[in-house]
Amino acid sequence: MASGDGEGEGSVSGDIDDLESLISTTDVERLKRAWRQEKAAPEIFQFEAALIQRIKEQIQLMEETVEDFAESGIDPLTVSLYQMDLDRTQFLLRSYLRIRLQKIEKYMFHILNTDELFNRLSREEKSFAERCSNDLKMHLDENILSKLPDNYQSLLKQSIISEETDMVPKPQLDTFVVCKTKYYLGHIQLEDINNGNTDDRVNQRPLEEPFEMEPNVLYFVRYKPIKKLVEGGKIDLY
Amino acid sequence: MAGQSDPHLSLFSAEEVEFMAEDEMVEIVPNMRMDPLNLLCGDYGPFFPQMVTQVPVWLAIALKKRGKCTIRPPEWMSVESLTRILESERESQDSFQVLPFHYVEISRLLIDHARDDIPDIYMVRSLVEDIRDVRFHKIETSLESFEDARSSAVRIKNLSAMEVNIVRPFVGRALQAFYKHGSPDLVPNPDKVPNRWQPAADPVQKRPLRKR
Amino acid sequence: MYGRKASRLVKELTNVEKGQLTLFNSDLFDQVIAECSQHYVELQSLIRKMQEKGLDVQTSKNEDHYGALIHHLALVRNKRCLMAYLYNRAETLRNLIWKVGLVLPQEVQEKLSHSEEEYFKRHSASLKSYMSRLDLDLVVDMVPPKDPYIQVRVVDNIGEGIVLSDDKTANFAPYSMHFLKRTDAEPFISRGLMEELTG
Repeated sequence: MASGDGEGEGSVSGDIDDLESLISTTDVERLKRAWRQEKAAPEIFQFEAALIQRIKEQIQLMEETVEDFAESGIDPLTVSLYQMDLDRTQFLLRSYLRIRLQKIEKYMFHILNTDELFNRLSREEKSFAERCSNDLKMHLDENILSKLPDNYQSLLKQSIISEETDMVPKPQLDTFVVCKTKYYLGHIQLEDINNGNTDDRVNQRPLEEPFEMEPNVLYFVRYKPIKKLVEGGKIDLY
Repeated sequence: MAGQSDPHLSLFSAEEVEFMAEDEMVEIVPNMRMDPLNLLCGDYGPFFPQMVTQVPVWLAIALKKRGKCTIRPPEWMSVESLTRILESERESQDSFQVLPFHYVEISRLLIDHARDDIPDIYMVRSLVEDIRDVRFHKIETSLESFEDARSSAVRIKNLSAMEVNIVRPFVGRALQAFYKHGSPDLVPNPDKVPNRWQPAADPVQKRPLRKR
Repeated sequence: MYGRKASRLVKELTNVEKGQLTLFNSDLFDQVIAECSQHYVELQSLIRKMQEKGLDVQTSKNEDHYGALIHHLALVRNKRCLMAYLYNRAETLRNLIWKVGLVLPQEVQEKLSHSEEEYFKRHSASLKSYMSRLDLDLVVDMVPPKDPYIQVRVVDNIGEGIVLSDDKTANFAPYSMHFLKRTDAEPFISRGLMEELTG
């Protein structure tokens, strides 16, 4: 019932080519980790389709087991222990899905306009994102955009002379996050070499600033430079 | 002190921090035989009278409430251990003692629900509170010294879950503000940087691992 | 003074605590929209003046150009304020669902424009559709679960032979202590007949 299974599909919990594969991890552990990552990161992660599917199945099986126990006269106090375990897992599942929905609601236009992000959504989340943004578009259109002069009716741009979509809320990738790694990580590039900043300040920074992370020590770091490592499962967020 | 201005998405509530703490393992001494519990989160038992077993805190407390066991408080939760830790916390201005990541929640949960299993419980509670206070004070003073640290990353040795959660918005903001406004003096002055907020590694010299 | 009305509109968002709404100010809202049209009319007439003077609209920087620029900037600022006003209120509504569920309390309903009510209905439906596809209610279970059983002490005389949800019978003698399902105890607790024991 508590069996763990490798994923192998490039998702956060699918990194099994190391020691972790020797230590059996329960799916609940994996769900907890996915939940924590999702909570702590500014951007939305790849949807853990296989993990969520397995969790749902395990929950269903357990619900049936609890019913059987209750009917077969097993001490209700013991049955309640199984119920508590079930409640905890269900909370994690709901919370995981909820956080993702909240992120979609918050950054809907940005996600829909960024393939990389849109492709991280589940099928149902994609539908939700589209419906959600249509609802909002319609609302903004009816009340404002359709009443504005020509050339000013764009949803995403202030006017047709805007060079980029300057009205879309985007997640702050420069947010600082708390993180930890299990294994030593060296040569993490912290500063953007070419972040488009023409500040003098940037020229003063050394080009190469390899930063290293010791295992099992907490760090506060800007999310952007470690984004790929987090997505690849090498860094955990707290 | 818990920052409210952070996007609510990324902050853990106190209940959520406690929820995570409840998965930490603790020792119990069953007082009766019990069948194994094959839960979604793991398999535990079978349980035999007087045979010490490890289970998650939430399960330990539930079993205790149901009269099936007593709980063995972890080693660090003894008066001797906590007294030592408190002294060390007081002595070192710059570093934090090693404590379990969830020491605040675990001690609170056990004090609330396993009262009779904890020797000198009032002393224990008072020591934990003192330790919390000393550590908070250290965090507060260190937040003020951020102008000395390099902006890109800060390492936090031995901070616990709840302390991280409370400090998170402040450190984030301080670093962010610093990152945006920058400073011409980017090479940290080793004399001014307190040990605990060790800046990102200087690529030129290998920094030795900090002594505890 | 250009932009003043738009400022007032946006400022209304801050007049209440985060997560709350003021009454939709349709008067002010419409006035800002109307201002946009006025700015556009002015802008166009200035451009026309430049064309009549034979100037290249793209490159000439005379007083007409700057006049038009000011109208353009004022228009765009009004647009941003209008969008911010509506967008933020919509965001507050969406976030409210995660606190109070899919039905809005009366005191919030009263503050919405008709259009906002419609928007809320549509968004609710989108959310419901997602949840039903997954067969999961996501608007419940918002805080981590606790032990369904609690320790209680009987405060007042409740009596004997009370049947509980697990079909057991209990005798609730005064000052006796019991380990009950919270749901069984709650009706007694709320009537002051029992109290929950913590620790």
